Amino acid sequence: MAVSALYFVIIMLSFRNIWDIYRRASYSKYNTLSGSELVPSVSLLVPAYNEELTITENVRCLMTLNYPTYEVIVINDGSSDRTLDVLIKEYELTLLPNPEVRGRLETKPVRGVYYNPQYPHLYVIDKENGGKADSLNAGINLSRYPLISSIDADSLLEKDALIRMARMYMENPEETVAIGGDVRIANGCVIENGAVKNVSLPRKMWPMFQSIEYMKAFLGGRIGWSQINGLIIVSGAFGMFRKDYVIAVGGYRGGYPGEDMNIIIKLHRYMLENKIRYRVAFCPEAVCWTQAPDTYNILSNQRKRWGRGNLKNMIENRDMVFNPKYKVMGLLTMPYNVIFEALNPYFRITGLLALLGYVMLDMTNWHVLLVFGLVNFLSGYLLSIGALLLEEIAFRRYTKLSDLVKMLLFSALKFVGYHQLGVLWRVQGHIQYLQNNNSWGTMTRQSWKDKKEAA
Amino acid sequence: MSQSVTLQRGQAVDFYGRLEEEVREHQSGAALLFLYCEGQPGTESCVQQFVDQLPGVETEVLRDESTGVLAVVMPGFTLDAAHYQALLLKQHLQSRLQQADPRITLAAIQEAPSMQTMKQMAETARLSISSDIHIFTEEDTGGAQSRILIVDQDKAVREFLQIRLTMQGYETLEAVDGLEALELIPKWEPDLVLTELNLYGIDGLPFIHHIQQLDMKHPPKIVVLTEKRVEQTISQCFQSGVDDYVTKPFSPVELDARIRRCLH
Amino acid sequence: MFSNLALAYGFIYVCLGLIAAGIIVLFYMKIKHNAEQREMEHYAAKHHDYFVYVQAHLHDDIKLELPPGKLTRAERRVIQAKFIEWIEQFKGEAREKLLHLCREAGFVEEDLRALSSPRKGRRIEAAYRLGGMRAEEAVPQLQQLMNRTRYGPQTIILARAIAKSANEQRQIREMLSRLLSYGKAIHHMAADILLETRLDAPSLMRKLLDDQDPGLVKVALVAMWGQAVPAAVPTLNRLVGSEEKDVRAEAVKLYLGSNPALKDDTIAALMRDHAWEVRAAAAKALGRLHAAGSIPLLAEALKDENWHVRNNSAESLAMLGEQGFETLCQAALTGTGPARETALYRIERIMAKEGDHEEVEQMVAFNKKKLVYDRYFGIQPSKRIGTVAGVGGDYTA
Repeated sequence: MAVSALYFVIIMLSFRNIWDIYRRASYSKYNTLSGSELVPSVSLLVPAYNEELTITENVRCLMTLNYPTYEVIVINDGSSDRTLDVLIKEYELTLLPNPEVRGRLETKPVRGVYYNPQYPHLYVIDKENGGKADSLNAGINLSRYPLISSIDADSLLEKDALIRMARMYMENPEETVAIGGDVRIANGCVIENGAVKNVSLPRKMWPMFQSIEYMKAFLGGRIGWSQINGLIIVSGAFGMFRKDYVIAVGGYRGGYPGEDMNIIIKLHRYMLENKIRYRVAFCPEAVCWTQAPDTYNILSNQRKRWGRGNLKNMIENRDMVFNPKYKVMGLLTMPYNVIFEALNPYFRITGLLALLGYVMLDMTNWHVLLVFGLVNFLSGYLLSIGALLLEEIAFRRYTKLSDLVKMLLFSALKFVGYHQLGVLWRVQGHIQYLQNNNSWGTMTRQSWKDKKEAA
Repeated sequence: MSQSVTLQRGQAVDFYGRLEEEVREHQSGAALLFLYCEGQPGTESCVQQFVDQLPGVETEVLRDESTGVLAVVMPGFTLDAAHYQALLLKQHLQSRLQQADPRITLAAIQEAPSMQTMKQMAETARLSISSDIHIFTEEDTGGAQSRILIVDQDKAVREFLQIRLTMQGYETLEAVDGLEALELIPKWEPDLVLTELNLYGIDGLPFIHHIQQLDMKHPPKIVVLTEKRVEQTISQCFQSGVDDYVTKPFSPVELDARIRRCLH
Repeated sequence: MFSNLALAYGFIYVCLGLIAAGIIVLFYMKIKHNAEQREMEHYAAKHHDYFVYVQAHLHDDIKLELPPGKLTRAERRVIQAKFIEWIEQFKGEAREKLLHLCREAGFVEEDLRALSSPRKGRRIEAAYRLGGMRAEEAVPQLQQLMNRTRYGPQTIILARAIAKSANEQRQIREMLSRLLSYGKAIHHMAADILLETRLDAPSLMRKLLDDQDPGLVKVALVAMWGQAVPAAVPTLNRLVGSEEKDVRAEAVKLYLGSNPALKDDTIAALMRDHAWEVRAAAAKALGRLHAAGSIPLLAEALKDENWHVRNNSAESLAMLGEQGFETLCQAALTGTGPARETALYRIERIMAKEGDHEEVEQMVAFNKKKLVYDRYFGIQPSKRIGTVAGVGGDYTA
């Protein structure tokens, strides 16, 4: 019950904020800003591990952003496929002799930096395999600009995404340490020349469920959390950070998934311990389209990984839980995460078992079970409706009426099966953690082109 | 030669002859408007009705019996005033006649144009594929003018530049993004490429570089018209051989001057 | 248990009610929005001829007519949006013509009334459009509105509207100091807003440079990036000695950018400044000034703790002919740590440009440097390897 109550409070906060978001998105002229010398320069970091299928489209997209000064740094994390060759061929890159590396974060050895003066904003780092966090650190070391932005190699940014984020940053540059972007599912959309041309919902079942799930999490959840400065995660797919603070907290932590949550927790901790005013913001109008796993196997691997990373982060930072020193973070966000994200599966299972037992004892009370299930389902569904309303008020990315019907339908279907699977995957992730199984799992990509044909 | 053809020719001569007479009467300048409305018999009276309520105009609508093209001489009207009346006329027709889709060609004249030119104007009106009001310029007379390729992702900017440059007598073509432009340039061989830097598919600087690497006898001049005001980008552009750099917001008059300077 | 059950039933009913309401609202919004969209498209098509007319005659020395016929509300919105889009796109006479049209069509008046609407959304919308229409008569009202609003995205929208509309320097100054009064470090945003003005920007900035408020001075300095304002040089000269670190650094950057004649001890003092921004700006300027006496200073600055200072020094040394280049080579061979790395990197950048030089003079200069390079590193290209030097580094960027 308390879970739902908190969810409702958060979504109410989102609602309170949504009109502001709508207004600032529609009454800001991004065109003038995107040509201005006064906008801070950004280094985009793109860690790539075995991404030969999606990397060209991704880089093409990043090279044509609507932004005054930025650089794109692709970090080839010792891929075993032709990721590096594909890039070298596409952009006629050559090895840069004596490249200047300014940062000093620990990383796996860098084999070289590739560059072509014809594309002055593109650098490609080739390094030995060390994981996503390690790659990001290598990117930070080479980067020249005061802001960094991490972007997944299987994601595409909208042309205005970065400038929208920068506008938010410029509104309060000193206190903003990180800004997260809105991540949406690109499956089903038509991709052309590195840009999402035709927005449409996914046709397959798994991406469709995720599409709803993401919308609920980002619009219903993160807008509200960011209101009280309690965001615990900035999605790894698209976020922007102040480089000086990222370096001050020692960069990304390697060796474990969940590095995107980890860096935010570390930033919170650092800022609170040093008593510096700060905010971790969320910018829902900056949109990143990502490729969602569309088979059961890949999806379950991804979710187990998340479950593992989440648990690891919670255990590592357990001192922050209920610690008033850490304000909202310690009193609300962390406990919320521990109880409702990490331990939630166990509550659910035990609750269900207890209820089942109760009903078993007295068969006449079978309807209690029904009522319990109904309460659960309806409150969840109401939250989904809330998220859809938020989308409709401020963003309206899906214009067709049929899309709305489909979203309503899948929001309901989500509670039959998909939800339960989510719980199962999380538990499996926890088991993996306890077994010390630290594999990344398989993650196969599909080329954007195939996507287009399949769609 | 059959009798009907002779008759038609006679009518045509009669039509243009009367038109020429009419134009001659107004030495101080006038606007000449041709209108063609397919399959609408009531057009003539409708147009006449409209012309009658124009202040200071007492002309009769002339009709070429063979083609059905109507002509109106509007004495004392400048091009812009005539343009405005033309769009009112179009609305008038559309409100009176069901499904009317009039084609209008318009020009301001100082002295009587040659029969040839008038015929050409009438033909442009009759054969026009778009329902836009067409302003008759030198381009239509088929003289050799410079070709300008407009590259911008913003439809509004492309539309404006197209209208404006066509009125200046240039031949124009539009491309939405860099890749499309790179396909068009070798085929169409423009004299000048007017481009934004912020494009889909390929970034401005590499785009410019690619243009210069195209194997062409007369490589096009390149003028950049962009939002980007970053000093570094500007100098990079000039280094890669851009002929001029104009930032938005821009003054149309100044842009004209710079384009002219580049082409001559 | 029963009371719990009753509560649960109640909850279920409330949920059901809310869900039903939510779904109805969703469908209503979607259908309404799509219908609006279609209506807008219809009107845009209807007035296409008029839009072409306006665009075709923007440059002529004439008075443009208003859109014909009686217009509905939505129609007026479509036309106004188009006008504002053009106003932002054009400069000079074309813009003036469009502004005049907006006024004549009554758009300004309409939005002025909307500015005192009880609904916040409408007020902000009106403010945005009034800014787009450069309505100077709206400024006092906009200022009031801004003073009443809590800091947030709306503040920026209002500030922009004021900057666009204001026709007095005083109004801009008031807006800026209000903007800075929230205590956020938004000088860059403020400068960007300031540059939206239609007043004479150089004179406005000159005035702000003389202001009492250091915040405003900073905004003006930031706004002057990339803009040559020769008349401001004396003021800059004064600000170079400012107590405020940020102000001093910005002023030095701009002042040295105007290529002034500098005395040797001024240069030396600047290169010793506490603020790295000042040192970096000075190091950068020395390359352009071609003062031979600056080579030892720059060589010393290669060892600076700040990357920007080191990098700019290396860049400037590379610009100072053979002698400067030789100093770089020396640092690369005999230096240690960051100094060596910076020098090496710069040398590689220069040597990689081989073959890029079209002018004879450039070629000669390059060949001279190549000779020096060969003398220090030998002719074999073995030194130019693609590995990353593992020394040094700092996070000052």
